[in-house]
Amino acid sequence: MIANVLDGIVFGIQLGLWAAGLTLVYGLGGVLNLAHGQIAVISAVALAFGMDAGLPVLPAAGLALLVGGVVGLFLDLTILRPVYRLQGEARVLLSLLLTLGVAFIVDGFLNWRYPGRSLSLFIGGGAIEILGVPMRRGSLLASAITLVAFAALFSFFRFTALGRAVRSVIEDEEGARLVGIDPARMLRLILVLSGVLAALVAVTRSMVVSVDVQAGFGITVLALIVTVVGGLGSVSGALLAGIILGIVNVIAADVIGTFMSLVILLLAAAVTILMRPSGLLGVEE
Amino acid sequence: MLEVTGLAAGYEGNDVVEDVSFHVDPGEAVMIIGSNGAGKTTLFRSVVGLLAPSSGEVRYEGAGITGVPAQRIVRLGISFVPAERRLFPRMTVQENLALGAYPGRPDPGTTELVMDLFPRLAERRRQRAGTMSGGEQQMLAVGRALMADPRLIVLDEPTTGLAPKLAAEAYEALSALRDRGLTVLVAEQQVPLAMAFSDRGYVLENGRIRTQGTSAELADDPDVRRAYLGIT
Ligand SMILES: Nc1ncnc2c1ncn2[C@@H]1O[C@H](COP(=O)(O)OP(=O)(O)O)[C@@H](O)[C@H]1O
Ligand SMILES: [Mg+2]
Repeated sequence: MIANVLDGIVFGIQLGLWAAGLTLVYGLGGVLNLAHGQIAVISAVALAFGMDAGLPVLPAAGLALLVGGVVGLFLDLTILRPVYRLQGEARVLLSLLLTLGVAFIVDGFLNWRYPGRSLSLFIGGGAIEILGVPMRRGSLLASAITLVAFAALFSFFRFTALGRAVRSVIEDEEGARLVGIDPARMLRLILVLSGVLAALVAVTRSMVVSVDVQAGFGITVLALIVTVVGGLGSVSGALLAGIILGIVNVIAADVIGTFMSLVILLLAAAVTILMRPSGLLGVEE
Repeated sequence: MLEVTGLAAGYEGNDVVEDVSFHVDPGEAVMIIGSNGAGKTTLFRSVVGLLAPSSGEVRYEGAGITGVPAQRIVRLGISFVPAERRLFPRMTVQENLALGAYPGRPDPGTTELVMDLFPRLAERRRQRAGTMSGGEQQMLAVGRALMADPRLIVLDEPTTGLAPKLAAEAYEALSALRDRGLTVLVAEQQVPLAMAFSDRGYVLENGRIRTQGTSAELADDPDVRRAYLGIT
């Protein structure tokens, strides 16, 4: 049981960071990026290529983060242009359709060019015991990196003028414009950031399990569920929901079976929406 | 300082304000009065860059600013306080004020001025904006606008939702700002307060300027007295 909970937490904080990017982009710009998981996969592929080409792991991981950010920027500069011309529901719907299209293209391309390819980073050394449970060093390192990323994210939003500016757009876009903040520029920044975060989780995830080229949609679906449960636009909500759902996921997979765990997660999300429509830590309308 | 000529603006192709011209000189306090639905908000939104005018011209300190978006207008020295205030409800008073100075750091002198003007804000630095009373939120909205160190402040019905005593206090604060040299443009339905405060005014009816004059002239105008001051 303790082992399940610990595994769940390891998975959950990664899930939370994936969701953080998704939820920020949605909260800030009303854009639902269904290619989020594919950004992670493209970054993982970049890392694999970098290492094949003889790069040491750290520069290769840096390359992966760079690729994630560039893909985020690319989406902002290309297919999201028409989306930005719309408002409200139409904007959400068009963003959903166009990014889904991108996701299909990326998936199709990767599956055709690199079928069965996967990335796994092996972190050597013996297991470390935590609460009597032996944990692999890869899992612990991955968790540490993810938590540091969360801490950096929280500090950015709390202590920097730029972070506050991003939050102000989430809280009141017109109010933000009135103090001189350009919402479009903040959204571009956050798309780049969410790409970098997606890449970071792809890299750390590959220290725990192997990440294959078809993982994109699975990542997006999980991140979406976490986003809904945590509350749209809330990074702390994403972390909290990620940890809860990570634990639920591992226990459900262990007790009932992996095939049911996604159904259980969806149920948990549905119950959350029924009881708290704005999510655990979302903004109440 | 601000010169608006033949401005028309509206929603989905239907102009609700038409052919509006007015001006504000440096150091003046100017009011635009009109009943609910006259078009005051639409006019102000199209002046400060929240709504694109369909025709006409806005000039500020000699330069054309027609259609320039709100986020750039504020950098030019015009701060707008909308009737809905548009604060950041989950942020503290202090964070709201700091954002007013974006992208710069809050200027200590300006912060002190705001705190002197509204001591309530100083007491509530760490309170979230959304949990404050209507009067305090209005103070914060004006305070946030001042943090940008504007030369012209534009306020849309600053007394919205305020009890009479607080409404009078809001105008006292505006008078204090005026005395410090700030130029003020205000839209108001509560005409007596605005009239006592301002030098000049324009009467907006059905999206057009109907009359204009000094506040004293308007106070003597029989039509204005009947329609806006409740005097027959
Ligand atoms: N967002 C909007 N969409 C469509 N019509 C609007 C909108 N806002 C205001 N109007 C209309 O424009 C006219 C002027 O409204 P407004 O500018 O708010 O006047 P005021 O501020 O003087 O009360 C009204 O007839 C109102 O119904
Ligand atoms: Mg109005």
